[in-house]
Amino acid sequence: MGYIVEMENITKTYVGVPALNDVTLRVKSGEQVAIIGSSGSGKSTLLRCLNHLELIDSGRVAIDGEVLAETDERGRARYRKDAEIRRLILRTAMVFQHFNLFGHLSCLENITIAPIRIKKEPPAEVRERAMELLRVVGLEQKADAYPGQLSGGQKQRVAIARALAMRPSVLLFDEPTSALDPEVTGEVLRVIRQLAAAGHTMVLVTHEMGFAREVAERIIFMDTARIIEEGPPGQLFDNPGSDRLRTFLQAVI
Amino acid sequence: MSLFDYTVTLGPALLNGLIETLKLFGMTLLLAVPLGLPIALGNISRFPPFRLLCKLYVWVFRGTPLMLQLFFFYYGLGIIANNTGWLFLRFDRFPAAVLTFTLNYAAYFSEIYRAGIQSIDRGQYEAAKTLGFTRGQTMFRIIIPQTIRRIIPPVSNETITLVKDTALVNVIAVPELLKVAKDAANRDSNAIGYLLAAVAYLIVTLVLTMLYRRLERRFSRHEQEAV
Repeated sequence: MGYIVEMENITKTYVGVPALNDVTLRVKSGEQVAIIGSSGSGKSTLLRCLNHLELIDSGRVAIDGEVLAETDERGRARYRKDAEIRRLILRTAMVFQHFNLFGHLSCLENITIAPIRIKKEPPAEVRERAMELLRVVGLEQKADAYPGQLSGGQKQRVAIARALAMRPSVLLFDEPTSALDPEVTGEVLRVIRQLAAAGHTMVLVTHEMGFAREVAERIIFMDTARIIEEGPPGQLFDNPGSDRLRTFLQAVI
Repeated sequence: MSLFDYTVTLGPALLNGLIETLKLFGMTLLLAVPLGLPIALGNISRFPPFRLLCKLYVWVFRGTPLMLQLFFFYYGLGIIANNTGWLFLRFDRFPAAVLTFTLNYAAYFSEIYRAGIQSIDRGQYEAAKTLGFTRGQTMFRIIIPQTIRRIIPPVSNETITLVKDTALVNVIAVPELLKVAKDAANRDSNAIGYLLAAVAYLIVTLVLTMLYRRLERRFSRHEQEAV
């Protein structure tokens, strides 16, 4: 126990092609895990199976020790009721590649809408917390701006604040800098680095190898729907144990 | 009699006609705009019977002439009412016109709404889901508010068509603008009534165009992309 994330023997096929092939990922409280691998290796899919954006075919998914889906006696994943799934995935919060901020809401409203409307927390308290989070990501002066008026880096920082406002047990980053211009990537990485240093549990899918090495305690390398290797960054990056990882690293670094 | 004097003489009748036209226009808009939404949601519903019903509705009302629908709801239902004794099926001219136009325009509006809803990026649904929104909450709090700006231009188009379509109801003798103009032209053997009616229609559509432009600006305030 003590795991925030438990994904065990996850299998998923996507129109006949394996997307995840017997993948197991466990994340402890306070741990930062980075998943690397080429496009189509299954790393985003794995992340999205944790918060029910994708469904698994078989295996077991649990968050904070509570089961989301589990293989039944017929070998198929059985999910819990919709209301329980909604409650459970609130322990995760995701930062998307394309931000997915709500365009009709101001930055502040983007952050406060779910805590107020969904979690029914007191609005004044939520707004105060949201302003504090905007300060953390360095955008308190943009509270009343709309997403359309922000740069990509600013949008992503608001999206991070929105995720944090849910007070999740685990933060999920799905290629948070892949859609950004190189000159604003730094400001987003800086915020994530800060969260990692503060001890937030996180799972990060990324193409930024240097960053993965720096913030993650554990690196997971995926290829062809499987986990090929995992371990501390030093070991994986300096001493890759498989040809596939070696080839991958040579190609990207 | 000078053109000016003639215009003044015709004025009150034309004005009454214009009021009748605006009444039909306003009531249709007021009823059809909201009615289009449940039909649009039905069209993208996960529940097949409801989806089929809404598709059938849109097909029927878009696929037959508005004039035919008008005849049906006024004369047709009247005949059915006489033959069966179901008097509730008999409508006066004006209510029959409002009913027909509402049902017809709701079908068109629903298609505009559906296209608007389906144009919203999948990422919005995903973000809402991860934040704990139900499907209904996602639709009403996240998706629909963002479609409004996108659907204003096509809705505005439809609305202007509606102003002109109201002239069709002169075939069931509703005393609207065109009917007044036609009666005057026939009675006085000149075309001035038509010209005055045309000016009235132009003014109404111009005002609507300006209103919609303002509305569009109001809703696109937030959406200028930063470069």
